[in-house]
Amino acid sequence: MTEKMSGARATVEALEREKVDYIFGMPGGANLPLYDALWDSKIKHILVRHEQLAAHMADAYGRVSRKAGVCSATSGPGATNLITGIATAYADSSPMVAITGQVAKAMTGRNAFQETDVIGIATPVTKYTLQPLSAAEVPFAVKEAFYLATTGRPGPVLLDLPKDVQQEEAEMTFPESVTVRAYRPNVPVDPQDIERAAAMIVKAERPILWGGGGVRIADAAQPFGALAELLMAPVITTLQGKGDFPENHPLSLGPIGMHGRAEANKLVSECDLLVAVGVRFSDRSTGNFGEFAPGAKIIHIDADPTEFNKNKAVDLSILGDANVVMGMLFDAVAKRITKSKDLNNNPWLKRVNDVREELKGIPAYKDSYADLSGPRIVKRLRDVLPPEAILTTGVGRHQMWCEIHYQVLRPRTWITSTGLGTMGFGLPAAVGAKFAAPDVPVVDFDGDGSFVMTEQALATAVEEKLPIISVILNDRSLGMVEQWQRLMYNRHYIGIKFPNTPDFVKLAEAYGAHAKTVGSLDEFAKAMREGLRMDGPTVIEVPVSPLDDVFPFLPPGKGIKDTVYGSSKEMAIF
Amino acid sequence: MTRSSKVLSTLVENKPGTLFRVIHLVRLMRLNIEGLTLGVTNGGADCRMTMTLSGDDAAVEHVARQLMKVIDILEAHTYGPEEVTARELALVKINTDKISVAEIQRNTGCRIVDSSKHSVVAEIVGSAKEIDEFVQRLGESNVLDIARTGVAALPKETTSR
Repeated sequence: MTEKMSGARATVEALEREKVDYIFGMPGGANLPLYDALWDSKIKHILVRHEQLAAHMADAYGRVSRKAGVCSATSGPGATNLITGIATAYADSSPMVAITGQVAKAMTGRNAFQETDVIGIATPVTKYTLQPLSAAEVPFAVKEAFYLATTGRPGPVLLDLPKDVQQEEAEMTFPESVTVRAYRPNVPVDPQDIERAAAMIVKAERPILWGGGGVRIADAAQPFGALAELLMAPVITTLQGKGDFPENHPLSLGPIGMHGRAEANKLVSECDLLVAVGVRFSDRSTGNFGEFAPGAKIIHIDADPTEFNKNKAVDLSILGDANVVMGMLFDAVAKRITKSKDLNNNPWLKRVNDVREELKGIPAYKDSYADLSGPRIVKRLRDVLPPEAILTTGVGRHQMWCEIHYQVLRPRTWITSTGLGTMGFGLPAAVGAKFAAPDVPVVDFDGDGSFVMTEQALATAVEEKLPIISVILNDRSLGMVEQWQRLMYNRHYIGIKFPNTPDFVKLAEAYGAHAKTVGSLDEFAKAMREGLRMDGPTVIEVPVSPLDDVFPFLPPGKGIKDTVYGSSKEMAIF
Repeated sequence: MTRSSKVLSTLVENKPGTLFRVIHLVRLMRLNIEGLTLGVTNGGADCRMTMTLSGDDAAVEHVARQLMKVIDILEAHTYGPEEVTARELALVKINTDKISVAEIQRNTGCRIVDSSKHSVVAEIVGSAKEIDEFVQRLGESNVLDIARTGVAALPKETTSR
């Protein structure tokens, strides 16, 4: 059955067939036909004030919902404004379909008004780009965009629609599926790899399981955690992988990395087997590649074969969906373990507990901070929020304090930009997350520097009556950069102070949000509880000192065993 | 860091923009393209691109591996010069005022594909080295212009992938 309609109408029809509920975006000249076609659609358009925010909203929506988030922008500046958000989604393998309007084909290359070669710009930061050149191609292009965005290693796909293609009428066929010849996302797992891995695992005396974003993406937390418990193996994660394994579990060591947990950073250097699942050996996780886990055999499990041996040579790589691989691995290991390990007499777990005890007293854990300080606020935040609450963040010290002190208990409740490290991600991400999980509390834990980059998302949150909370740690500074200048650049503070930072209460109220500045941890907890009951967004400003450094700290380029646990004095050597 | 010339051979889907996607990675890894040939194959469905790249060997390997992430790429392999059968075609415009065409042909086995009053265009096919030697033998002052295709290459039977 075919039906005659415009390319724009076919786009909307195809989006409806993909069960798209929301489009985050902003209209303009080159995508007006598309917006006109939304007029009588079930799809709800969420209006932003800047296209970057639409991309972050769609990104977070995708991370929480497992569906591809959809954002849209017009050509030229609308499209280029999307790019930071698209690159953010690409760096963290988030499923997204970004739809841009484009000048009509006849105007291409003539420097037409709002013409930008967005495919040229977006190619390095997308999984794929598509530009249908006739209306009849549109249903296939939309199908392919969603197929590529959500399968294999997910990522953003750009769909660039020339205006004349949107306007042109054609007899439309809507495909049930598409194939992309050179793309093979579902390679069957090699059972021999599983046997080899199981043999290595059973032989290991000091195993560690390491989870990354890929565990969440593949919904592999269950078999991942089951294998850890079967082996009684300690678990570490990447920053993106927080939530792969409940961080209040006795086997959880927390994240490794530049600002990882001290015990995780220490013990990863002592393991004799590292089972790395859905991680990409980012320099921010591993420190110096050569000095990472030097005594360990490494098994790397990933859906993307191009990650194998990219940054760190491994002993065995297993290609496949993490959920499938971990399930098979669990069965293979369970078969080989004849009796359960004697827990009381397990030297590795004893070593783990000894290290935990030994590190309890490091300055970063001693609660020597002021009452209103990042670490204390983060811990109180956890007490106030239910386990299912979703936390988004900006990028900076506040995010790193969450890495160290905020225990993520469930997958898909920790939404943060790690790969690209995009300041301003937190608030629009909270908006997107709230649309994906309307019944769950959503909090943006932010810094003043990050918040002001995308504060216009408050307008959307107010309009949509979203009861999200932004907590702003306000140090009137780019605190993370200040820390680096303090510790590594001879206290040459340059370009980091905000002497005229806005009054955040007035700013939030001007948008129509609730707002409060708090002066104590108890006031903070009270404001949080009030915020959770509101029918619109709340901004809670917490004044903090710019002088609290984030520790532990693995200085850039150093080996992970050189992580500095404590005071700035130790940093003097760098 | 080991630097040398390597052959990057890719088989890609024959559609617009694919070369652009390949070149992006080559540029990212700061490699210089010394030769590039491409042509459709497999009944027009695919396109074989052969690049001669100079730069850090590890960077060339990195490109080959990361190319497999690109949706339109079917195959990507790198080879050292000794692992492939490689041929290049060159057109060389020669000033015939001081050198006789018959002598050129006798010495090199090239084909004369065009001749004018004061010059001829010779076509020579061979390895990059053979073409270099051909040009050298003509003498720099006799060569007016050169157009080289860059090498097309296929792995030898003994080359493992």
